[in-house]
Amino acid sequence: METRDDVLISVKDLKKYYNKGVIKALDGITVDINKGDVMVVIGPSGSGKSTFLRSLNLMEHPTGGSIVFDGVDITSKKIKNAEGQWVKLNIDEHRQKMGMVFQHFNLFPHMTIMDNITLAPIKVKGVSKEDAEKKALELLNRVGLADRAGAYPIQLSGGQKQRVAIVRALAMEPQVMLFDEPTSALDPEMVGEVLDVMRELAREGMTMVVVTHEMGFAREVGNRVLFMADGKLLEEGTPEQIFGAPKNARLQDFLRKVL
Amino acid sequence: MFTAAGFQKTWGYIDLFKQGLVCTISLSALTVIFGFILALILAIMRLSDIRPFRSFGIDADGHEIDEGPKAVLSRFNPISFIATVYVEVFRATPMLVQLFIIYYVVFGNVSLPTFKLFGFIRFERFLPGVVALAMNSGAYLSEIIRAGIQSIDGGQTEAARSLGLSQAQNMRYIILPQAIKNILPPIANEFVTIIKESSICYTIGVQEIMYAVSSTKGATYRIAEPLIIATVVYFCLTFPTSKIIAYFERRMSRGDKR
Repeated sequence: METRDDVLISVKDLKKYYNKGVIKALDGITVDINKGDVMVVIGPSGSGKSTFLRSLNLMEHPTGGSIVFDGVDITSKKIKNAEGQWVKLNIDEHRQKMGMVFQHFNLFPHMTIMDNITLAPIKVKGVSKEDAEKKALELLNRVGLADRAGAYPIQLSGGQKQRVAIVRALAMEPQVMLFDEPTSALDPEMVGEVLDVMRELAREGMTMVVVTHEMGFAREVGNRVLFMADGKLLEEGTPEQIFGAPKNARLQDFLRKVL
Repeated sequence: MFTAAGFQKTWGYIDLFKQGLVCTISLSALTVIFGFILALILAIMRLSDIRPFRSFGIDADGHEIDEGPKAVLSRFNPISFIATVYVEVFRATPMLVQLFIIYYVVFGNVSLPTFKLFGFIRFERFLPGVVALAMNSGAYLSEIIRAGIQSIDGGQTEAARSLGLSQAQNMRYIILPQAIKNILPPIANEFVTIIKESSICYTIGVQEIMYAVSSTKGATYRIAEPLIIATVVYFCLTFPTSKIIAYFERRMSRGDKR
């Protein structure tokens, strides 16, 4: 499996079937995600866009196809190592390189904000507590929440929780950030603060895959837009092409409804 | 039915009830402790991911097979299967049958040391009683523990795993600290249930409260009065206990609103 240097994730013919193929949540998705891409995935609900995103770090195990991330097919149970021997693939090693942000934040309620952020760097990467906390404070500072480090998630607003969730993922220094409808569970007045953080990340060159209903964000920040429906990738292009000159009839219909 | 003279006669044997109380409490406490340890092992067995035939479900390219007998075989977890069979058998059969099998069959040919705990509890009857009660409540408690673990929102596991935490790390740092809050109150309630259920051990001659009733009946030819006393003793034991548990349950859930 060859990949170009600038391809970070290469998805080939990705399938996710339920009920022995009766329901096709993903029906053969093929796409390359390049380094530095801000790829926005749009589509009606039930189109499989969240399933697609969640397959990228194997939160969902695909039924078929492959995902080559950083040169390794992570859908395999076994991979060939440098000596050509078959070894068991440890998905945890690859997941730490992919940050994920969820619709419902999923902060750990029994830990302070600081512990939420430093847990994985300390336990997974073996970073010292001091270094992890220093890095966490830096990141919290960037999203304007350094003063809430000692608070518990319950004491934060939705927008603050989501910014912490983004920081928690960033603390692992991932190569790509996956956003699963990060603003869908937020009150309208808090959407902006989360999108600002994401916009900032994009400007810094972070590779991002974003499933969202925020068309304004897709148009402004995304460099590639994917339109999905019924588990298929129906159209792909730049924001100008997708929003300015949509070709697919389903996409035209979708845009008429949401814009 | 009840007579003052009857109560007076019964009162002469009140020491038997005091002994019965000590016996019931030690029986229940030991049952909860051993039952909990057993339950923890059973719950971990049921939630384990040990699949010895896993390799049957992987094709030549290293991908997982989804259907067919090979896939079913690859998903088979014998450890979980054994625990499930244990739990279902103990939950689906009467306590009395279990007690008799353990006392008469399992311990039937074992000669246990015949010393007396606290100077009166016959160990050779007490131990099989504890074993039977613990094996039974272990089955129920394991379901409580399993439910407590599974009640934690799946998003917690997803968040932890997406950060690269292993399944074991996820259990240790994320799931168990949150699940323990849900698990402790039902375990305390199980203690109350065991206090009541332990009365069944009277049938194998463990000198708990019902045994005191039986002895008093034999000596005084009165049945109503000893039973009333036993009822009062049981009630005084379980009612305050459950109230105390309910109080702590309320306090624990207070900081829980997310």
